[in-house]
Amino acid sequence: MSHDETEFARFFEASWEPCMRAVAASTGDLLLAEDQVAEAFARAWASWRKVRRHPAPRAWVVRTALNAGASWWRRSSRELPLSDHDFAAPVSQGSGLDAVVLAALRRLPARQREVIVLRVFLDLDIETTARQLAIAPGTVRAHLSRAVTALRSELAQTTATEADSCAATTS
Amino acid sequence: MCGNDQLTDSAELRALEDSMSGVTMPGRPRLAAITARGSARRRHRLAAISGLSVAGVAAGAVLALNLAGAHGQHQVPGTIRTAAYTLTSNANGTDALTINPGELFDPAALQSDLAQYGIPAKVTVGSYCSSDPAPSGFSQVVSGQPQGPSTFYANSGVQPTITIDPAAMPAGAALGISDFQLASGQQLSTMVLISAGSYSCNGTPPPAPSDGYQALYGGHTGP
Repeated sequence: MSHDETEFARFFEASWEPCMRAVAASTGDLLLAEDQVAEAFARAWASWRKVRRHPAPRAWVVRTALNAGASWWRRSSRELPLSDHDFAAPVSQGSGLDAVVLAALRRLPARQREVIVLRVFLDLDIETTARQLAIAPGTVRAHLSRAVTALRSELAQTTATEADSCAATTS
Repeated sequence: MCGNDQLTDSAELRALEDSMSGVTMPGRPRLAAITARGSARRRHRLAAISGLSVAGVAAGAVLALNLAGAHGQHQVPGTIRTAAYTLTSNANGTDALTINPGELFDPAALQSDLAQYGIPAKVTVGSYCSSDPAPSGFSQVVSGQPQGPSTFYANSGVQPTITIDPAAMPAGAALGISDFQLASGQQLSTMVLISAGSYSCNGTPPPAPSDGYQALYGGHTGP
């Protein structure tokens, strides 16, 4: 195995799950995310000499995955003979709150969602996030602020609805 | 999360992060399949850049075969046909490599074609590569005819088919295919499993391996 292959293998092994979480959170569809992340890693290998020098290779993969429409992985996968996403596995397997939070994320504007994905799920700092998106750090903060406000509002509404529901049940 | 700004320490973003922590992610796909796909993309891109190929997967594949000196057609997906071999997928997930004994195959083309099918391989010319100890399980990875050392002549009418199961490939192993062009014009091909990260090569044609496959191809006269 060449040095490049060894290096890419390590990167792939360490980064598959974080990238999957980031893309799955954004798309809400595990199978679609798997499809897109696999395609993105293939593209990363195709351009490995460039990607390996990238300041945030995982961010490169995630952004590529979110931009990738191709579904070669699904078509070629022998284990997943589905031809479309009619039977997609939803991401929300946890509590009701988790589902609400993730649904709220997917209702955010695309740019805010991108900022959240890079900042929260890939743990990039503000400056690196800004460089990835070719925007100013201040703009990243602004997007984060708006996103937090929107999420807070969604969660508050849900909490209020649940409280009303509980009150109605117990009264 | 790294960084201490108040925004990313907010309860909402922590809830968002936590919401994904309980979700079981699909397991990693096979690395070989990812790199095979990536390598194919790279080849197609280089072909396009060189101006020798029109866009498209099939055209890129044909170019690769032509550069390798083979004169076959590449049909994607499913089957790769060259004058020297045909590589195709079986419905059960295995791949079939059918060899035309009358033609010498191009090792580089075979290696890249195997990679497209998710089969990690190291194909060499004039050197035999092996690992000590060799990964076990050759018979699970490679099966079908022929069994054991065999000689195939161009005029025999026999086209040996080797069935390869990529899923049975042990972790870290690759299919080592060593190829020697003999003075007779024939080609001695030896197939064993090697450890992808640890193997050595030498220039002596090997005896038939106990856990492997060896065959003599080419030549236009039978015994």
